[in-house]
Amino acid sequence: MNQQQLNTRISEIRDKLTAIEQKPDNRIWLSCESENAYAVNKFLFEEVPLRFVIATVIDSDDYFEVLYHYAYDEIGCMVTLKALIRDRENPAIESIAPFLPGAEWIEREMHDLMGIEFRNHPDMRRLILSDDWPVGVYPLRKDAKKPAERPDGEPSRRPTVQSQSPARRTVQLSKPVLPVGPFHPLQEEMELFQLAVDGEIVTDIDMRISYNHRGMEKIAETLQFDQVPFLVSRICGICSASHPLAYVQAVEEFAGITPPDRALYVRTIINELERIHSHILWVGLAGHFIGYDTVFMWAWKYREPVLDLLEEITGNRNNYGNVRIGGCREDIPDELKPKIIAEMDKIEKKMVMLTKAVLDDPVLHVRLKGIGILKKEDAINYCVTGPTARASGVDIDVRRDEPYAAYGVLNWNVITQPEGDVFAKAVVRLLETLEAIKIVKEALVKLPKGPVAIEVKQIPAGEGCGHAEAPRGETFHYVRSDGGNRPVRHKMRAPSYVNVPSFKASCLGGNIADVTITLASVDPCYSCTERLAVVKDRGGKVLHDYETLLKLSREKTEKIRKEIL
Amino acid sequence: MGLSTKAVKKSPWVFHVNTGACNNCDIEIVDLLTPRFDVERFGIKLVGSPRHADALLVTGGVTAQAAPRLREVYRQTPKPCVVFAIGACACGKGIFTTGYHMVGPVDKIIREIDPDAIIAYVPGCPPKPEAIISGVVKALAAI
Ligand code: SF4
Repeated sequence: MNQQQLNTRISEIRDKLTAIEQKPDNRIWLSCESENAYAVNKFLFEEVPLRFVIATVIDSDDYFEVLYHYAYDEIGCMVTLKALIRDRENPAIESIAPFLPGAEWIEREMHDLMGIEFRNHPDMRRLILSDDWPVGVYPLRKDAKKPAERPDGEPSRRPTVQSQSPARRTVQLSKPVLPVGPFHPLQEEMELFQLAVDGEIVTDIDMRISYNHRGMEKIAETLQFDQVPFLVSRICGICSASHPLAYVQAVEEFAGITPPDRALYVRTIINELERIHSHILWVGLAGHFIGYDTVFMWAWKYREPVLDLLEEITGNRNNYGNVRIGGCREDIPDELKPKIIAEMDKIEKKMVMLTKAVLDDPVLHVRLKGIGILKKEDAINYCVTGPTARASGVDIDVRRDEPYAAYGVLNWNVITQPEGDVFAKAVVRLLETLEAIKIVKEALVKLPKGPVAIEVKQIPAGEGCGHAEAPRGETFHYVRSDGGNRPVRHKMRAPSYVNVPSFKASCLGGNIADVTITLASVDPCYSCTERLAVVKDRGGKVLHDYETLLKLSREKTEKIRKEIL
Repeated sequence: MGLSTKAVKKSPWVFHVNTGACNNCDIEIVDLLTPRFDVERFGIKLVGSPRHADALLVTGGVTAQAAPRLREVYRQTPKPCVVFAIGACACGKGIFTTGYHMVGPVDKIIREIDPDAIIAYVPGCPPKPEAIISGVVKALAAI
């Protein structure tokens, strides 16, 4: 479908909408009343069909707006549906999660933060706020107390709000048994996974996040437009180039700012350097999970020179904060070009070697093929992005679908694999690293002369969506401005937010020895796999903690090795 | 100097706790293990349980959900133990100071349960691996 056909297709549901607007050409804004939202969403997701990105809820004084963001990747068009909820006292809207599993988390989040009720949601338990957060206090509402103040009120002490339809939770998970969850030297963020098992087979998985919830969307409302990039680069340390870029692109879009050419190339180079070190980091961790510790050490060693280059360009090994509205903060000095190219050549050699070693290793083939398969339908229903989607045969990549920075003029390929298993994800990442190296080299050669930023005086009122391809998938930012110097609403969505729930599809029915590597294969912001507790479905005794799972995973590799060699 | 203090100084086993960090501090800590820095040379070892640890490397400004877990980890760690607040977040909540879900910083949470806790600060966002090593060495010299 081209843009024209897409517009025609969408206008089929015209009678349910109150407005259709198109600005700029590849952004369509639809409005409707809350009663019609379910039907319109169903039409957009199932009939058109569009990819669901995320939803944003905005407190607009007299009413609430729920914004459903969709993308049509074939032509890089974003469609946003605004549903108005006029009842401020008891805001409620029909849930879309029954037909769109990818929306389950965000609806729970909107319920937590803004107090919107989603009717017929399968599992309305608390997701993002802490266990002791008071009931009925919604931090994102405009009338909430100042952000720094902890709200008072009766702490709920209930881990979760009652599920509306308990039938969905097929296995009654016993209470969390471990007070903290197992720790491990490689432990990263805290996320609690509870697995229910029947013998060796995983029958259910439940996830609890919140440990890392820092309330950034509210903090962003207190910062000036220019300060926000520094905040959003700290959403995640290894996506710290792509988050600010997505934000800046959202602002530049509605403010009508075009950064100079050189800035576009510098942005490309920084983003690809980030992708290189992030993918190498993942390869190392994946090696660790299946017992290849040499790969872990080597990969992390190869990664260091990339961090050095980033430090030399931006002044920091991570959290570069190099992009700003209207361009970039730091330029790449011309003297540095030969050094970067030389480093890229070195890394390329090592990565080619590593890629060959992985592709030729018979043990890895047996160990990783057919494990943790995420089927294409599931990938679409859970709306996953990035390597997780591409390894399941979903051919999407923001860099190609809606070319930003300098990606449109460089030569590179999108890597996809049809199988959807762990091996496919590894292949996608390894080959993508090689592509990234190619992009960096070409961009350096073509780097145009000129300034690296233009001066921006004022950000007008308006709203915009920006997205960028981070190492883990699409980062999405929605910004609304009222003409002041701070955003009135800023929605951020990290790729793991949609990728992690897909564990429900990829882990169930699998063997517990494969759980760590299946979870890690999504690269859930480094690795969430450390917080595992396997809970028995009857009796409620902890069978395995993370350490045992890691051991199981490594033993399985060892067994395969013995059988083959 | 008691035997346990001597053990802490000679070969500190550290346990890493993330209380709501952006991952960068954490990655830099893991980076310490890998070939370029390789702190195991000095007897510093990351361990998998707080019960085996002499020191806690805490990152992040402590979110409401993580605070009880941090307290629990501190309780489980044998004393004497040194708490390292790694990064601007852990030292003073950093860029997330105004967040509604932040209850930290680390020293506040730890002092609630142990007013005499030994706490060392390594600022930076993220601190470079060299800075973390230097912080650990200095703190151990001061015990
Ligand atoms: S101090 Fe900086 S790098 Fe470390 S966790 Fe906080 S924001 Fe991230």
